[in-house]
Amino acid sequence: MSSNGYAIRLEGVVKTFGKKVQALKGISFTVPKGVIYGILGPNGAGKTTTLRIIATLVRHDRGVVEVLGHRLPEERAEVRERISYLPEDAGLYHRLTGWENLLYFAMIYADDMESAKEMAARGAELAGLSEKDLHRKASEYSKGMSRRVALARALMVGADLVLLDEPTSGLDVFSAYTIRKTIKEFAKRSGTTVLMSSHNMLEVEELCDRVILINKGTIVAEGEPKELKHRANASNLEEAFIKLVGEFD
Amino acid sequence: MRRSLYPVVWKELRDMARDIKTLVAISLLPLLMMPLMGITSIYVQTLQQGVAVVINEDPGTLTIGNATFSTNDLANSIVAALKSKGFRVLNHSVKSYDIMIIIPKGFRANLSSLTRVALIRIVKSVGSAKSNEGENTVQSVLGSFARKVAEAKVKYLGTLAKKPVTPDSVLNPIVYTTVLVGPSGTTVSVEESFRVMLGRILAFSLVFVTTPSIAYITDSVVGEKERKTFEALLATPVPRWSLVIGKTLSASVIGLITGLADAVGLLLFFALPSMTYGVNLFSLLTPGLMIAHVSAVYLSVLASLALILPIVIRSGSYRVAQAFSLAIISVASVVFFISLYADINALTAPLRYTLYVIPYSHAVGMIKRSVLGEVNQAAIHALVIIAEIGVLLALAVKLFSEEKIIYSKT
Repeated sequence: MSSNGYAIRLEGVVKTFGKKVQALKGISFTVPKGVIYGILGPNGAGKTTTLRIIATLVRHDRGVVEVLGHRLPEERAEVRERISYLPEDAGLYHRLTGWENLLYFAMIYADDMESAKEMAARGAELAGLSEKDLHRKASEYSKGMSRRVALARALMVGADLVLLDEPTSGLDVFSAYTIRKTIKEFAKRSGTTVLMSSHNMLEVEELCDRVILINKGTIVAEGEPKELKHRANASNLEEAFIKLVGEFD
Repeated sequence: MRRSLYPVVWKELRDMARDIKTLVAISLLPLLMMPLMGITSIYVQTLQQGVAVVINEDPGTLTIGNATFSTNDLANSIVAALKSKGFRVLNHSVKSYDIMIIIPKGFRANLSSLTRVALIRIVKSVGSAKSNEGENTVQSVLGSFARKVAEAKVKYLGTLAKKPVTPDSVLNPIVYTTVLVGPSGTTVSVEESFRVMLGRILAFSLVFVTTPSIAYITDSVVGEKERKTFEALLATPVPRWSLVIGKTLSASVIGLITGLADAVGLLLFFALPSMTYGVNLFSLLTPGLMIAHVSAVYLSVLASLALILPIVIRSGSYRVAQAFSLAIISVASVVFFISLYADINALTAPLRYTLYVIPYSHAVGMIKRSVLGEVNQAAIHALVIIAEIGVLLALAVKLFSEEKIIYSKT
């Protein structure tokens, strides 16, 4: 499928936890290569479950999942080689410095120590921390600094697909702005496909080329933010979401 | 570098090296516990002062043939012996005491008779730890005194019968000798006989090294989830086997540290009986034995990690993981406790084979066989425990489930 220009294809994906909780009720969507694609929805909509399935961490019960041309869950190893993932509230190893946190992940992806150091240096640049801060223990970092390092860790490895789960959740205005700026500049410069989830409509509207609106495990709408606003006759995506979810209910 | 153990081991060791409090705690536990065991088992007994009462209600002397005996001398000997054992000795009745010895009225008349026996009353306080020690001391003095009286009576009877009599031929018509032999059947010295005791103590000391490593690996896996670092790591190409083996090997460094601390603690432990008994136990701690002990410590730690890892990986919550950790520590403690009193090889078949399934039994076997110089047997135990560790680690890799880890509660 990647050869057809798609980075991700989901077809009728169902995921149930236990016997009763159906997190995904047969969702289908495709993510073209080289775009920032948003999954938008309230808490408990199924955003994180969708990202975890694509990130090879959770097995879907039914349906088709293809990531970068590889079928999941059969080709998990191949997919892991080509993606990077930033979970919601991802932490750092608090006894390691920011630099060591970057280097650890770089070593996992790189072929040798020299390449790992180069990769970590790229991460350090993306994190935008001073040299002094970079060599402080992560336990001394503010939440914003930790998130910048965690994001840099996901962006630096040269993945073909970057998965970001609520990258700005819980951050103050300044930190959230820095994170959004970093994601935007990175995607523009590298052409990497980014799939990000958020419940912040304004953030998605600002960052994403295309979005899906998801609610209670079902896709409500899919398209460009402008298109969705037009379809719902709304002035912003937030209003569009409320109208479209309301129509759906 | 990718698909290798290096990144995981690098990160784990770096993380561990900065956890100074844990490192100090795991080093101090065996270092303090071993000498403390020595102190509690030997010194506390001697430091605890007992109270003894010795009352002589029949003072004076008695004559048997040409020999004269004094109840005053007997009472004085009892007092001296008890004092040498740290007792405070009184010659009048008090409310609270550990042991009371009474030489009653008529003792001399009965003792000098050829038809009656003389009675000494020993009164012990119930629940007193020192009363048994006091009784043993008094019995030793009385035994020596009774022997002298018996010899005098035999000589006196010989004189009456006008027959030559040797006291020993009447009092000890049978003598026996005891010889200690080792596993090869050759005679061993008394010091060498301490090897058996040494093996048991060394095996029991393993109990102090399993707990910290189990706690560490539980925290290493569950803590990563709690601190939200595991999820991002699990989506990387890092092989699952390298996560399992890397974490195990890194945490086993804890085992090496505790093993070395345990060895130092052991030297301190042996310093106490060496000073108390005047036996040079250090001569028994050969380099080979120390190597066997440290190896057994390391393998016990690896076994603990291999046992707990599949459970921690699959457990639904931190509490479940901790409950299983406690269960494994308990099993280990039971095995090490059994080793203090029994030889696992000598147990009946069902129990023996059940214990052989538990890796700790082979760590015990390694030490006990090394102590007796049975190197081949010790090596077999080492190979079995290594094989068991391998199987458990393979199981941990097989059971590795990202979904279980992510959705387990903390």
